[in-house]
Amino acid sequence: MSEKEAESRNPSELQDVFSGEPMDLRPGSDDCYKCSTCDTECPVAEVDDDFPGPKFQGPEQWRLKRKGDHDIDDSVMSCSNCMRCDNACPSEVPLSQMHNTARGKYVDEQMSKLSREYIRNRILSNYGRLAPLASKFPRLTNFVMGLSVTKFVNEKVMGITSQREFPDFATETFTDWWEKRGGKATSKERAQEARTKRGDAAENDDKRVAYFHGDYSNYNTPEVAKAMVRVFEQFGYEVAVPDQRCSGTPMFANGMMDDARRAAKFNIETFAALVEQGYDVICSCTSCSMALRQEYPELYSFDGTAKVAANTFEALEYLRVHEDLEGELADSSVPESEFGELAYHAPCHAKNQGLDGQAVELLSALDGTDPVDVGDSCSGISGTYGWKSEKYDTSMKIGDEMFEHMEDVESETGMTECPTCAMQMNHGTGYDIRHPLEVLDSALVN
Amino acid sequence: MANDAEVLVVGGGSTGTGIARDLALRGVDVTLVEKGNLTHGTTGRMHGLLHSGGRYAVSDQASATECIEENRVLRDIASHCVEMTGGQFVQLEGDSDDYFEEKLRGCRECGIPAEVLTAKEARDQEPYLTKDVKRAISVPDGAIDPFRLCVANAADAEMHGARIETHAEVTDVLVDENDVVGVEVRHESGPGKRNHARPGTKEEIRADYVVNATGAWAGQLGEMAGVDIEVRPSKGVMVVMNCRQVDTVINHCRPKGDADIIVPHEVTAILGTTDEEVSDPENYPEEGWEVDMMIDQLSKLVPILRDSRTVRSFWGVRPLYEPPGTGTTDPTDITRDFFLLDHEERDGLTGLTSIVGGKFTTYRAMAEQISDHVCDQLGVRGRCRTADEPLPGSDDFSILRDYMDEFGIRSPIGRRSVQRLGSRADDVLKTDGPNPVLCECEAVTQSEIQDAIDGSGTDLNAVRIRTRASMGNCQGGICCHRMANELHPEHDEPTAREALDELFQERWKGERHALWGEQLSQAALNYALHATTMNRDAPEANGGQDAETDTIDFSAFDAGRNGKGVVDGDGGINGD
Amino acid sequence: MAIEDDVVVIGGGLAGMTTALSAAREGSRVRLLSHKESTLRFASGLIDVLGYVEGEIVSNPFETISALPDEHPYQKVGEDGVRAGLALFDSVADYAGDHTDRNALVPTFGGRIKPTARYPKHTAPGLASDERDTLLVGFETVVDFDAPVAAEHLRETVPFDVRGVTLSFPGEFRTDAKITRLAHALDKNERVEIGSSENVSQSEPVRIALAEKIKPHLGDAERIGFPAMLGEDHPEDVRATLERKLDVEVFEIPMGPPSLPGMRLEAQFESALKEAGVRITTGNPVVDFESGDNGEISAVVVERNGAAIPFHGEQFVLATGGLVGKGIDSDREGVREPIFDCRVPAPEDRYEWSEDGAFDNHAFARFGVQVDDELRPLDSAGEPEFENLRAVGGVLGNCDVSAEKSASGVSLSTGTVAGRKASDEVNP
Repeated sequence: MSEKEAESRNPSELQDVFSGEPMDLRPGSDDCYKCSTCDTECPVAEVDDDFPGPKFQGPEQWRLKRKGDHDIDDSVMSCSNCMRCDNACPSEVPLSQMHNTARGKYVDEQMSKLSREYIRNRILSNYGRLAPLASKFPRLTNFVMGLSVTKFVNEKVMGITSQREFPDFATETFTDWWEKRGGKATSKERAQEARTKRGDAAENDDKRVAYFHGDYSNYNTPEVAKAMVRVFEQFGYEVAVPDQRCSGTPMFANGMMDDARRAAKFNIETFAALVEQGYDVICSCTSCSMALRQEYPELYSFDGTAKVAANTFEALEYLRVHEDLEGELADSSVPESEFGELAYHAPCHAKNQGLDGQAVELLSALDGTDPVDVGDSCSGISGTYGWKSEKYDTSMKIGDEMFEHMEDVESETGMTECPTCAMQMNHGTGYDIRHPLEVLDSALVN
Repeated sequence: MANDAEVLVVGGGSTGTGIARDLALRGVDVTLVEKGNLTHGTTGRMHGLLHSGGRYAVSDQASATECIEENRVLRDIASHCVEMTGGQFVQLEGDSDDYFEEKLRGCRECGIPAEVLTAKEARDQEPYLTKDVKRAISVPDGAIDPFRLCVANAADAEMHGARIETHAEVTDVLVDENDVVGVEVRHESGPGKRNHARPGTKEEIRADYVVNATGAWAGQLGEMAGVDIEVRPSKGVMVVMNCRQVDTVINHCRPKGDADIIVPHEVTAILGTTDEEVSDPENYPEEGWEVDMMIDQLSKLVPILRDSRTVRSFWGVRPLYEPPGTGTTDPTDITRDFFLLDHEERDGLTGLTSIVGGKFTTYRAMAEQISDHVCDQLGVRGRCRTADEPLPGSDDFSILRDYMDEFGIRSPIGRRSVQRLGSRADDVLKTDGPNPVLCECEAVTQSEIQDAIDGSGTDLNAVRIRTRASMGNCQGGICCHRMANELHPEHDEPTAREALDELFQERWKGERHALWGEQLSQAALNYALHATTMNRDAPEANGGQDAETDTIDFSAFDAGRNGKGVVDGDGGINGD
Repeated sequence: MAIEDDVVVIGGGLAGMTTALSAAREGSRVRLLSHKESTLRFASGLIDVLGYVEGEIVSNPFETISALPDEHPYQKVGEDGVRAGLALFDSVADYAGDHTDRNALVPTFGGRIKPTARYPKHTAPGLASDERDTLLVGFETVVDFDAPVAAEHLRETVPFDVRGVTLSFPGEFRTDAKITRLAHALDKNERVEIGSSENVSQSEPVRIALAEKIKPHLGDAERIGFPAMLGEDHPEDVRATLERKLDVEVFEIPMGPPSLPGMRLEAQFESALKEAGVRITTGNPVVDFESGDNGEISAVVVERNGAAIPFHGEQFVLATGGLVGKGIDSDREGVREPIFDCRVPAPEDRYEWSEDGAFDNHAFARFGVQVDDELRPLDSAGEPEFENLRAVGGVLGNCDVSAEKSASGVSLSTGTVAGRKASDEVNP
C-alpha cells in the first residue's frame, strides 16, 4: 500500500465532524464540477416538487457544512436510494454515499423515534426480521395480509399504502429446501457430476461459490434461488449457502444505519471467511450485490469488506465472465409458451453495476424467448419507498414510463433481477414477472 | 473656501474603513477614497485568520497580547464576519519539544487561553490530521471574512454621514506651502457607485486633514506629497482549497517558516504562506513553486491536501515597515507592529499622517489610535465607540430558524445566507416573489445579489466580495452570467456585459494557479459552456456597442427550409 | 474467456456512439463500454462542424476545411470524412440543416448568435438569417436565461426586432424545481392551479396556462423563443400546442447543463445503437488492458468495485473525451491519457497550459493524443502505440473545438471513419 493510499480519504476510518461517527464527506465535493448530469437522472426530482435533486442534496449541501451544523435538509427523506445519480456522475462524486450518510444523520438527530414515520420505516426496513415469523404460517399470513381490514389498518395506522398487494410467502423457504436437499454435500456431488460430464476434472477447488440469496428469494420467491443453485451446479460449481442477514439495502434507504451496520457486519464476517477459502460470492438480486459491492465499502471498514466487494458478482455476470454462457445458450431453447416475448426492465441497481444490458444481450441468443428492453427509466418502487402511503403516488408517477413501455410488448410476461421492481411491474401491468435465472434454469438444466 | 470634508482617508482596506467608521461615530465629517474596490489592497489578500496571538507568543509578545484583546472585541462587534473555529499549534514527531514548551508558556504569559492536546485529542478534533501528530496546543484562533468586515465598517461610516468613494484613485496630493490641503482623484465612472458605462471624471477633494492608510502603497502617496516613506512590501502566497478539510485553524508549531498554517475560511480552507520582499506592491512574480510548496509542506500536517482540489491561489503584500536605520535584512524578522508617521514631526509637512505596518487582527485598535491622533490635531472631542458598537449585521441573530417557513429557501442555503448576512438576513431574504439560488456553490440567492448590487453598483467583483458568489468550486463558470443579468434592467445590456467580462476575467486569472486535475476539467467545462454554448468568445460578440450587422452577411448563412430568408439571399440551398 | 466482440469502443459520448454505430453498420459485432452518462447531457445539442477559423466566422465549413493546419483531425479524415460523419448523423437524428452545406446562425442563451451545421427541429424557426420579429420568453426561476438581456444583445446584431420578457412559470412549482421537472410537466401537460374564483381553485393544463400568460406580450412577434425546456419526451407536442394557441412559430434556445436537447439526442442515438445490435455495457470504468503476442491489445479491463472484468476484441477505439469527459487526465506534473498511456504532449511548465485572458489561445484546449492518417495514437517516435487502437472525438489533440465551434463535427467525422476502418480490419 503506497503512502498515498494509506493517507488517502477513507471516510470510514474518520470520525464525523458532527457526531463523532465515521464520515466527513465534504472532500467528495472536490470532484463535482457542476455539470448537473446527476439531476437529469433523478427519477424523484422529475416528479416530486419537494425534492431538490442529487446535486444539491449531495456535493452542494456537504460542501456548505461546518462543524456544529446540525440541520440536514429534510428533503433527503424523499430520495429513494435508486442510486442512478452515482451512475450519471462523470466525476466520481460519492453521491449515494452522501445521501445515505445524510439520511442516517437526519433519522438519528432530527426524526422522532416515536413518530409513526420512524416506526413504519423501521418495520419496512426490517422486513427480514419479520419474514421468518410470517413464513412459519405462510398461508395464514398471506390470508391476513390480503384482508381489506389489514390494509385499512396498515394505511391508517402505519402509513403503509393499501394500494399494493403484499407479496405471498412461500410454503417452503429456500433454506428449508436447501437443507432438505442435503446442503453443501449434495451440491458438491452434483457439481462433480457436471464437471465429469463436461470432461473436466471432478475435483476443482476453484469452482466454489457462496450464495447470498437475500431475504426475498428465501421467503417469497424460492424458485429464483433454486434456479441459481441448479444453474451453477450445471456449470460445475459447488454452492455454499451460509447463514446470512438482509443485505441492508432497505435500511440504508430509510436511514436506519444502526440496523444496517449490524446486518452488514454479520454478512461481511461470514462471507469474508468463505472468500478467504477461495469462494466467490454470488447474488441473484441486484440490490444485494450493490450493497455488498458498493455500499459496504463506502460505509464500513470491517476486516474483509473490500475483499468481499471485489469477489462479489451477480449470477449472470459471473457465468458470463467465467464460462461460455453465450455459446451454451445459443445451442439451447426454452418453451416459447412459457417465456416467449419478455418485457425486461433493468433495475437501477443493475444499471449502477453495469449489468443493465446483459440479460437481454445473453437471452437474445436463446431460442424460445425474445427479451425486449422496456427502456432505462426507474420502476419507481425502490424497495420500501413505494410502500409508503405518502410516496405511493410519486412511485407510480415514476413508474409510468416503464408501464407504458411494458404495455407495448405483445406478451404479458415481464422479467427483471430485482424483487421489488418485479412487484412494481406486476402491480402496474398485471404481468407475470420472471427472473433471468429461471430462464437459464429452463434452458440449461435438464 | 469651505472644505469638502474634515478628514480625508486614503485607502479602503481594514485600516482605512476602520478609521472612517471610528471618526464618523465620533461625529467627524469623513470622506474615504479607494482606487479599486474596498479591500483592493492587502486586506483583500489576507489569510482570513483572526489571530489568537499564539503565532506571536514567542517572537513578539506585545503583538500577541494586543491580538488576544482585539480577538475578543471582534468576536463581539463583528460576529457575522467571524467564525470561532479554534486553532491548534501542532507538533509533529521530530519537531522541537523546547519550542513547544516555549510556545505554551508564551501563550499563558500573554493571557491567551491555551491547553495541551494529546495526539488522540488533536486527531479527534481534526480527523484529517496526520498520524504523525505528537501533541498540540489549542488556542482561540478564528476565521474572519475581511471583505464583509470592511463593507460593514464602510456601511456604518456611511450611515453616520461619511462619504465612501471607491474606484477613485488619488492622482495627486494637494500641498499648499508645507500643508496638505486635500487630494485630486480620478473617478473611474464618476462619483458615487461604480457604473461601467459612465466615463470618468476628476475631482479635487479638500480636507482639513488627510490620513494615508494605503498600507503597502504608502510610499507612492508619500511621494505625491513630497515625503519619503520606506515601506518594505513583502509578498505571501495563499492557496485556496475547494472545501474545508479542517474546521480548526491548524498551525505548525515550529519557529518561523513558510507554509505553516491552514485556515478554514467560510466553506474553503486556505493554505499559507510565504514571506518574501518585493520592490513593487503591484508588480511581482506569482510563481508555481510557491503554490507547490504550500501543498507539499502542509500535506505533511494534513495528508489529504496532497490530492485535494485547489480552486485558485492569490498573493498578498504585507505593508511591513521599520524605522529608518533599523537594518533588518530578512523580512520575516521585520516587526509586525504598526507605526503612526506624523509628517509634521517627521518631515515638517502639516495635515498628513501615514499609517504603516500592523496586521489585520488589530485593525480596530490601530484605527482607534489614529483617530485619537487626528482628533487631537483637529481639536475634536469624541470618545471612540468602535469596541462596543456592533457593526451592521452583527446585532443579535440566530442561525437556528425555519428557513423554509420564513424565507422559502432550503435549510443549508438559509443557514449559509444567515451566516453571511447576520442580523441583516430578514431585510435581505424576505422577498415577495421566488428567490432562486444564483450561485449554487456558495448558496447565494438572487435577493442577496440584488442587495449587494444596491451597495456597489455595477461592479460584480464588489458583489462577489459581499456575497461570495462565484467564489466556489466552479469559479463563476455556472453563475457569473446569472449575476450579470441581475444588473438589468436598471443598467443596460452593454453595461451588464462589460461587468460580466470583468468578473469572468478576474475569476480566470486566479484560477490559473490551480489548473490541473479537477480544476483543469472544471476550467475546460467553463470554457466550453461560455465559448461553445454561449459563443461569448466570438470576435464580433466582444466589446461594447459593436455593429455586428456590418461584419456578418446574414444572406450567406442557412435561413432554414421555410424561413423567410434574408432579402438579398436564398438562404443557401444546396448547389449554389 | 467469455466476453468477445469484433470491435470494442471505449466511451459512450457522441464520438463513441458514432464509432459503434459506424462499425456495426459495416457488419461488425460491436461492444460499447461507457463509464457514465455521456457529456451530451451538458452540451447544447447543436451539431457544430466549423464556425470560426482564426477568428473569422465561417459560412460554409466545406470551403474552409482545407485551410486548417495539417495536424487538425479534419485533415486526417478529409472533407469526405466530415460529410460521412454528417450523413451518419442525419440517418440517426431528427435534425434540420441537412438541406445545405452552409452554417446556420442560431441564437444562444447568452444573447449571441452561433454558426452551426445541424440543429434540432425545435430550434429551426429561430435562425438569425430568417427575418421574422421575435419575442424571447424567460422564466423567473430559470436563472440561466434572462430573456430581456439576451434580446437586447441580439437586437444589436440581427436584422430583425427582438424583445424579451420574463414571466413566472405557471403553476405552484418550487423555486428550485429543476429544468427537467418543468420539462416533464410540459411533456405530460400536467394540470396547474391558475388562481381561484369564489374560493374554488381553477386549474388548466400547463401548456394552455403558459400560452395564456404569453398572449398579452405577443405584440407583432412572429415567433417565440424559449429556453430549451419544452419537454423531454414529447417536445413536438409541446411546441404544437403552444403554436396552435399562440398562432406563431415557437422555437427553443439551446441551454447549458442540464441540456434537454442533448438528452433527446442521446435517446435518438441509443435507439439507433439498439437497432444496429451494438452491445452496450455501462457503469464501470475501463482502467487497463491486456496485450496479445504481438504487442497488440487483446482485451480491455473494466474495473468493478475491485473486480477486473476483461472485454476481448480484435479492434479497439478510444473515445473517452477530453478534459471534460475525463479521457484526458492531469496533475501538477503533467497530462496523461489514463487507460493506454498514449502520449499527450503538453508544455513542461503548467503555467504554459493556459493564457492570461479567459478566451485566449489556451494550450489546454488543444490537449489530446496525436494520431496518424489511420487515426491511431502515436508514440514519441511517431509510431502507432498499438496496431489495433484508434482514437476519436474529444480525446484527440490539435484543435480547440470550443473556439472553432467544431466539437460535434470532430466527433462525428473521426468516429464514422474510425468505426469503418476498424470494421474493415476485422472483415476485410
